[in-house]
Amino acid sequence: MTNFIFVPEGLIVAGAVALILMARAWRRPRWWLPTAVASLALVALLIELWVGATLATFFGGALVQDRFALFAKSAVLLAAALAIAVTDWSDEEAPTIGMAMILLAAFGVMIVASAGDFVGLWAGLELAGAAAVVLVSARRADLGLRLLVTGGVASALVLIGLALVYATVGSADLPAVRRDMAFEGATLPLAIAVFVLLGGLAVRAGLSPFQFARVPVSLGASPLGAGVIIGLVAAAALTVAIKIAAALTPLPAVFGPYLMVVAAVAMVGGGAAALATRSPRARLAYLAAGQVGWIAAGLATHYRSGLGASLFLVGAFALAATTGPALMAGADAGEFALAGIGALRPARAAGIALVFLSLAGAPPLAGFFGEFAVAAAVAQGGNLWLLSLGLLGALMSLAAAVGTVRAIYLQSPPDESRRASGVRLPVLTRLSTMGAAALCVAIAGYGVFANPIISLADQGAEALGLR
Amino acid sequence: MILAGIAAASPSPAAVPGAGIFTSPLILSLTIWVPVIVAIAMHAIPNPRGRYDTLMKQIAFFTNLGIVFVLFITYNQFQTFLPTMQFEEKLPWLPSIGVTYHLGVDGPSMTMMVLSGIIGITSVLASWGVRERVRPYFSLLLLTQAAVNGAIAAHDMFVLVLFWGAAVIPIALLVFGWGGPRREAATWRLIGYWGFGTAALLVAVMTAYAASGGRSFDMDVLLKAAFTPRVQLAVGVALVIAASTRLPLFPLHGWARDVYSEAPLGVTIVVAGTASRLGAYLLLRTLVAADHDAARLLSPFIAALAAITIAYAAVAALRSADLRWAASRLALVPGGFTVFGLAALTPIAITGSVLSIFTGGLAAALIVAAAWTLTERAQTRSMQLLSGLAPRMPILTWVLVLAALGLLGVPLMASFPAEAMIFFGSFQSQPLGGFAVAAGLALTAVALAVIVHRVLFGQPNHDAPAVSDASLGESWYLGVLAGALLWVGLFPGGPKLPGTDQPIFDPGLINIMSAGITDIASPYVLPTPPAAAQ
Repeated sequence: MTNFIFVPEGLIVAGAVALILMARAWRRPRWWLPTAVASLALVALLIELWVGATLATFFGGALVQDRFALFAKSAVLLAAALAIAVTDWSDEEAPTIGMAMILLAAFGVMIVASAGDFVGLWAGLELAGAAAVVLVSARRADLGLRLLVTGGVASALVLIGLALVYATVGSADLPAVRRDMAFEGATLPLAIAVFVLLGGLAVRAGLSPFQFARVPVSLGASPLGAGVIIGLVAAAALTVAIKIAAALTPLPAVFGPYLMVVAAVAMVGGGAAALATRSPRARLAYLAAGQVGWIAAGLATHYRSGLGASLFLVGAFALAATTGPALMAGADAGEFALAGIGALRPARAAGIALVFLSLAGAPPLAGFFGEFAVAAAVAQGGNLWLLSLGLLGALMSLAAAVGTVRAIYLQSPPDESRRASGVRLPVLTRLSTMGAAALCVAIAGYGVFANPIISLADQGAEALGLR
Repeated sequence: MILAGIAAASPSPAAVPGAGIFTSPLILSLTIWVPVIVAIAMHAIPNPRGRYDTLMKQIAFFTNLGIVFVLFITYNQFQTFLPTMQFEEKLPWLPSIGVTYHLGVDGPSMTMMVLSGIIGITSVLASWGVRERVRPYFSLLLLTQAAVNGAIAAHDMFVLVLFWGAAVIPIALLVFGWGGPRREAATWRLIGYWGFGTAALLVAVMTAYAASGGRSFDMDVLLKAAFTPRVQLAVGVALVIAASTRLPLFPLHGWARDVYSEAPLGVTIVVAGTASRLGAYLLLRTLVAADHDAARLLSPFIAALAAITIAYAAVAALRSADLRWAASRLALVPGGFTVFGLAALTPIAITGSVLSIFTGGLAAALIVAAAWTLTERAQTRSMQLLSGLAPRMPILTWVLVLAALGLLGVPLMASFPAEAMIFFGSFQSQPLGGFAVAAGLALTAVALAVIVHRVLFGQPNHDAPAVSDASLGESWYLGVLAGALLWVGLFPGGPKLPGTDQPIFDPGLINIMSAGITDIASPYVLPTPPAAAQ
């Protein structure tokens, strides 16, 4: 079985390279390509679920296959497959390159999930970020440049932070860092290093108030590009954050207070901004920012249960945030753009509604179960003030999500003149309908059948050395 | 698949108290998940240009009828005087944080389930006139009912929070989509208050969870844990806030007027009848049943809230110039009574409160439904114009009078034994509160008398629009509510074969609800003065 462990990664990279070559060879993409690529991602997922339970290390511990890797890779492969299925490819400037980039972004997260040292974490994160830059540049070169600059700053912060941690602890190997931390005291240099590192990750993940680049860029990007920025790149940064938090757990004082403050600001700020905005895609981005705050709150607990809950929520987050913009497709100009889509595109509309409600933490969907698990960990840590702020943010998020669901189902479809002014309905295909239906099942099933999923996430947290 | 999973993990039917010939280990899950599955299926059925609107209504009706049938079986096979939970279902859900899918019913929850069944079918009948977007309307109505049933049957605090919170979204969408002119304000108020209440409930649950060592959310574990007085008080206050937003109690009643008067009738009935009763049920199930010291400490405060709510409702109704607004204020009165009985903390008052949850739900639903129908038929809501309608609206006159009598708790109405027990039980422990509530009841009687006299028996207003009496369809849902109030009032112990103690088909709500109450009320038995015997 050990020989098959990296077959999913191989399939994803091979698919991405093949798509890049096809983009050069074919002027117009083939109609069957999205189905084939979504199927490829699904096959990779099935292989991951089949062989991923095998525990192994490769390249001297640089890559590790454990329960954490299994969980994170499965979640990201499912998110990528569904995003490819539900994307309206007629609304993408470079469909073949777009498919290649989402596969590369997924590959980046897979590298992060398997990374056993700082190099792997940084490389995977950068790969996911680079794929997002390419996707955004396909529609708006200026926004691509903006994302590149912001990403460069974030990358520099992460790199400097990792280097400083390496300099303080003396190792870049995650288990070794964790082991050595047990004998270290909380020093100012280490605290500064972690502060810089978390700052870089917060920019990458789009945590409030660091969403200054991510939200505007995601608004101008193509739907798939927005999904990769809001979902996959953030998932990569959060996966890095979970691994770093697990390594730093013996010294919670060097990261706990930062994360609590950042989480509180993100949860409340994300909810308030989502309530204030009218644009569905911006609202989705802010709802996602609020949920990222919940994930950060779970990390701040520095307990296994908190990190396990955060990992569980990352899965729900990646699924909803990656597919959400792709589901909305071109219908993202304003709240009226989604008006009546429930009658015209029922499967897609149900998917959009569930994505919004899940990101808002509405019961009984995936996001609610994840946020509840985090809340339980936060309460166990005695941080009821953080929990109360989180609930305030969740309340605002819920009100915002209900507003969007109302537009989807309770408002009349826009007339032809308004549609002509830029409101465009996504093209109806069998693949997109099946993808949207599968997404609905996944978001609802993630919570209802949470027992095996959260058990796997808990084992994932245990695999990071947490007890 | 869900049901199969539960079936596999649930105990065998023979081991479940309450099991009988027609039972199933999934009987409570059926009442929750069948409406969900039907709602999803309805959503998936194509309905071009509303061609299958009638079919959608029929599906919703027969789903509710099926639930009533299931509940009828459950009710008849319920073992009275058994203090433990019955029809239990238990399987791990989020084991790493101690969450179990744990359902079960005892006497009070069985009583609530019966209420939910009656209200569910009544709400569908009251929604028969919906013409716009029929499919989503009935889907959301079924989801609401599923959430209410789930909250009633929940025996794990996570499951309770889940269904408690889940009820907000479909109800908000129903008000938003099908409400009256002020629907937007009504929706945001509902989301604000109920969301705040859900957050308070979550804070209470998490505080208790953390203080109990973070092992389990199961009520058997969480509510039996030993807490410090500070934690008990914090949890108790949060629970009172959560219950006050839902029931509602003064001063957290801000959503009630707009929602009861602007929501479509079927939704109003569900909210007034069952969804809001969950507030009192929460207090009973958590604060009174488990947190004895906090309950004793907070009881004067809760009693004061109840008395203020009743007095406020009566005064506000008297001052209302809109009949629906007046009815929505009067619908607060039964909730005040229920909570006052709980605050009294004596076995007889608690028993009265449990019955009052049932009768209060029916009476509140009946008064808002009667006012809603009357204003529709009279084409105006203004009390200036509504006058002397009795000769032209005989059916609605009867219904409104019955609703008023139900609110006041006169003999032969089901609310009479409930209010009598609450008063008998409360004057010992809450004498001041008892007088205040009695004064509030007198004010309510005045308000009802003024409204009924002006609207029904005053001088006819010749400037008012034309009126007509309730149609056959309207008579059905109003009749079901009024009939249920009368039935339990006439046969609280169920009808018996002449000359025997054998119930014919109804074991009697009083007998059903008594199971489990002894367990809840036993810590509150007042000590008998030792000198009394000498």
